[in-house]
Amino acid sequence: MEPEEIKKNAEFLIKELSGKDIPGEAKLNCRYKTLTKFANIYGITDPKYVGPEEDGIIACHGFANAFTVKSFYSLLIGFKLVQDGKERTLLLNPGKLLHAGNQYNWENCVDIKNGDKLTVTAKWGKAWFVEKNKMFFAELLATVRNQKGEVVCNVKSNLGIRPGGY
Amino acid sequence: MVKIADVKVGQIIKNEFDQITRDLLKDYAKASGDTNPIHTNDVVAEKAGLNGVIAHGLFSFGFVTKLFEDFLEHGKFGTLIEIGVEMRGMVRCGDTLITEAKITKIEGNRVYFDVSQTTITNVDIKGKDGAIVKQFEAGERGYISEKDIKKGLVKTKEVSEGILTYRERIATPGSAIVELKE
Repeated sequence: MEPEEIKKNAEFLIKELSGKDIPGEAKLNCRYKTLTKFANIYGITDPKYVGPEEDGIIACHGFANAFTVKSFYSLLIGFKLVQDGKERTLLLNPGKLLHAGNQYNWENCVDIKNGDKLTVTAKWGKAWFVEKNKMFFAELLATVRNQKGEVVCNVKSNLGIRPGGY
Repeated sequence: MVKIADVKVGQIIKNEFDQITRDLLKDYAKASGDTNPIHTNDVVAEKAGLNGVIAHGLFSFGFVTKLFEDFLEHGKFGTLIEIGVEMRGMVRCGDTLITEAKITKIEGNRVYFDVSQTTITNVDIKGKDGAIVKQFEAGERGYISEKDIKKGLVKTKEVSEGILTYRERIATPGSAIVELKE
């Protein structure tokens, strides 16, 4: 891809994405096995996270990983835009996508419990272009709620796309 | 027991993990749903130019959350409010992952931390004659780049078997906020 096209695409995306909602939602069921597996991977032994199913366990904070990548991929895969009258996907080459960083906020959030059904909705935050390395970056702001509509986590994820991928 | 009166700016909390294996990454892939084969299949990772599997970016993040869960004794002494991390360096099987958090500010019951995760990647051990007596995965698969050497990240130290060459670099800088109960 020529440098002019890279810049043109980046400018288009900055204009199109910033502050806009991402249509759709991603769903995730929180199963006992998955919650305990997450805790086990990190060597967490507190019964609050790995106790018997009948005692009612909650997810460790690391479980946030489970809904981040999966839900973002599913939201982004169907995300379409119209540029110069033609429909295009956000990612022209998914292999160029980089996960640059994440911020999780649990303030005023409730715990994730075994059996919860989570729904992830998201919108775009800031989007910007780095001239030096021709990287395009965008913030994805997601809210994760349980089946009662209570917020379990707010996530800000920074996505980077290498040249040729947008 | 952690109380607000007991914590000080400059205080450091730390954990270390040296059991990153292919089996653990497979378990993580299943649990997280991130089944990209660059994390679990060396052949695919090699084709992607990575010389071998790399850990999931968020795999390391779990050790940051664990550090604070341990610090707060799983909610007994407070709650985790926020964690932010940047994924900068790849983490590999055989690496030692050191997670460290330093208190930078205390406001009311809120304690603010700078977080960093450092990887120690052993390359090889050479005897007095310069011959390799032990080679680690990073040496076999060529994980260390010219860039690492230029940046001064590759170091040596004396160990019982000879001179150990290793790379030390920050994989994940970040920040965190916790709220203590009293």
